[in-house]
Amino acid sequence: MLSELSSLINSKVPNAKAEVINPEEGSLGEGSILVAPESIYAVCEFLKTNDKYSFNALQVISGVDYLECIEVNYMLGNFDVNNPRQLILKTKLTDRVNPRLDSVCGLWHAANYQERECYDMLGVTFNNHPDHRRILCPDDWEGFPLRKDYMTQKYYRDMEVFPDDKMNYEEREFIVRQKQMEEDLKKRMLERGM
Amino acid sequence: MQTWDLGIEELKEKNSGENNLKTELLTVNMGPQHPATHGVLRVEIKTDSEVVAKAIPHLGYLHRCMEKHSENLDYRGVIPFVDRLDYLASMSQEYSYVAAVEKMLGTEVPRRAQLLRMLILELQRIASHLMAFGTYALDLGAFSPFLYAFDEREKILRFFEEISGARLLYNYIWIGGVWNDITDKHVETLKEFLDNFEKELVKYDNLVSGNKIFLERVINVGNLSLEDAISYGATGPVLRGSGYAWDLRKVDPYLCYNEVEFDVPVATGERGSVVGDCYSRYIVRMKEMEESVKICRQVLDKLEDGPVMGKVSKVIKPAKGEVFVRTECPRGELGVHLVSDGTKKPYRVKIKSPCFTHVSILPHFAPGQMIADFVASIGSIDIVLGEVDR
Amino acid sequence: MTTKAEPLTLRKYFYNIYYAVSTCLKGMGITFKYIIAKKPVTIEYPEVREVVPEKARMRLYNDVLNCIACNQCATACPVDCIYISSINRPKDLETPKTEDGTAKRKILTQYTIDTALCCYCGLCTTVCPTECLTHSHDYEFAQYTVTEMKYNYMDDDIIAWRDRIVKTR
Repeated sequence: MLSELSSLINSKVPNAKAEVINPEEGSLGEGSILVAPESIYAVCEFLKTNDKYSFNALQVISGVDYLECIEVNYMLGNFDVNNPRQLILKTKLTDRVNPRLDSVCGLWHAANYQERECYDMLGVTFNNHPDHRRILCPDDWEGFPLRKDYMTQKYYRDMEVFPDDKMNYEEREFIVRQKQMEEDLKKRMLERGM
Repeated sequence: MQTWDLGIEELKEKNSGENNLKTELLTVNMGPQHPATHGVLRVEIKTDSEVVAKAIPHLGYLHRCMEKHSENLDYRGVIPFVDRLDYLASMSQEYSYVAAVEKMLGTEVPRRAQLLRMLILELQRIASHLMAFGTYALDLGAFSPFLYAFDEREKILRFFEEISGARLLYNYIWIGGVWNDITDKHVETLKEFLDNFEKELVKYDNLVSGNKIFLERVINVGNLSLEDAISYGATGPVLRGSGYAWDLRKVDPYLCYNEVEFDVPVATGERGSVVGDCYSRYIVRMKEMEESVKICRQVLDKLEDGPVMGKVSKVIKPAKGEVFVRTECPRGELGVHLVSDGTKKPYRVKIKSPCFTHVSILPHFAPGQMIADFVASIGSIDIVLGEVDR
Repeated sequence: MTTKAEPLTLRKYFYNIYYAVSTCLKGMGITFKYIIAKKPVTIEYPEVREVVPEKARMRLYNDVLNCIACNQCATACPVDCIYISSINRPKDLETPKTEDGTAKRKILTQYTIDTALCCYCGLCTTVCPTECLTHSHDYEFAQYTVTEMKYNYMDDDIIAWRDRIVKTR
């Protein structure tokens, strides 16, 4: 189904550059289709409206940060009891500084919240999004938490993010104490002549 | 033309014209500490007198960075964190995650463990729907159904406590099987419970479902057409309440669901309701409990002796790759997108939570509703904020 | 938006009243039954205590005499609340054994569990090779400060509590 679908996409949507990605050997999992990020809206529109392989629901948009690129997965589904289908549609964004994608909010209402979450967590900006805000973090939070190189900001609204008095420093002290105790014990052992 | 047919700007214009009085929409914050929002959901409501013109949900008050946390834990260590997503249906959440890991590893689960899992999932569905039923009645002003529902829920929790050792956050379903086996005594008590529970369901029906006051509150309120429901990605009782028999247990059977007989309850518009309103979503949950009882009975008959844990290596190290697994949880489809990079820790765990999707329907319900009806709408989609914010 | 716009005939009007009253009475009947027939389910807590199930996961207890300091529990813990420190036993010393015969190759110097951090998931008890780390049935351990929630199981007073908190096997 995947190879047929990808050739269908290529024939209907120019510049889609759709290709099938199969799971690597030795691992179980599903295959997926990789498309070019510029054509994501056109591909989604085609997938929603075509007759043969239609997908009427967007289940989730899941972003993964691979350091060299940010991958956005669109889990599409066909909510039809007679021929249920599932597809993972991937697109790779190589620009980590300002990754951009076209929003698919016009196709599925579900995309609204999912894209907001993707922006919040991975910093992917969606063009033409009706309500482009953060969703889980506060609006003025800095950085995108689910990126692999994320560092927590030091101050948020003049409040320390990890204040000294709230941190569990006892754990670190524990390690220091532990080393001391080990040394003490060794000393005592030596004194006893062991 | 009613006021709620107008947009906000039009409404402002219209109101400012009358007698040259300056009027504007009132902004009311419902939540985060509000008994009717089922947790810490804040909904910013723009109201014109008592009519809601617009509702904007603000999420994130219970954001516990679960997805970031799990990137730093080993595969087994994530299970207690997954428990805490939907704390009213922990078993179902656990199963979804474990199923994803097992699919990645290709683990074979013994038959007894599979049947036990099914039994547990259905009992959890009953417990979760009982909670939904109780709190929904509470939202609409009836207090006693809440207590009666808790009475039955307590029995299920007690059973879970006996087999897993915890009442709420079980960590019972493990990669490769389940933790403990159940005994014959448990089977007997469960059979007794199921017999009793069917009578209780009739009682709930007499107490709440048929009550005229309740019906007046929920019928033709918060309508969601099937087209919208699918477009919003709604699943579970919300989608079935809109009149479509989509149930993963039937459509894409996992565990042993293809061996048991059960129906998928769909709203049909009985008692003068419209398909897709609050009553439909409510009644689908009530009917689902009956089906769960049926499944539990069949599973108890099928139970055969055998091991409950499959062979899993001590250190779980799946090969590179990714899976997307979805299961039917009490609140809808829970999907787990798991990416592995070949190390001991998952590279990415993305939870597709049904409640998160369902919260996005709230702005759709709001325009033109009374505030009290909006409360009924929130209750009918049955959200748990732990799962929304993750 | 609450009701459909249908013409309200006189018959329907009275049927509505009849339906409302009858269903409410039905509900009242059920509630009334509960008042008479239902026994109270609450218990008077400090005097009467509920029997906890056999497998209940309450406060952790480590029987340090049987602990071989293998560090598996600390590795398995998802919240990192177990602190273990140990030193290697000098080779010329005699190696003692635990109750089930495992050799204690290390000398345990500290075994602390931060009960305030613990999430009672039970992962540590299942990996324990000598089964010295168990969930006790003790659920009443409120303290005045968080630091008091840290239990060093090498302390004398905790060993003295052993009779109270260790699970009867």
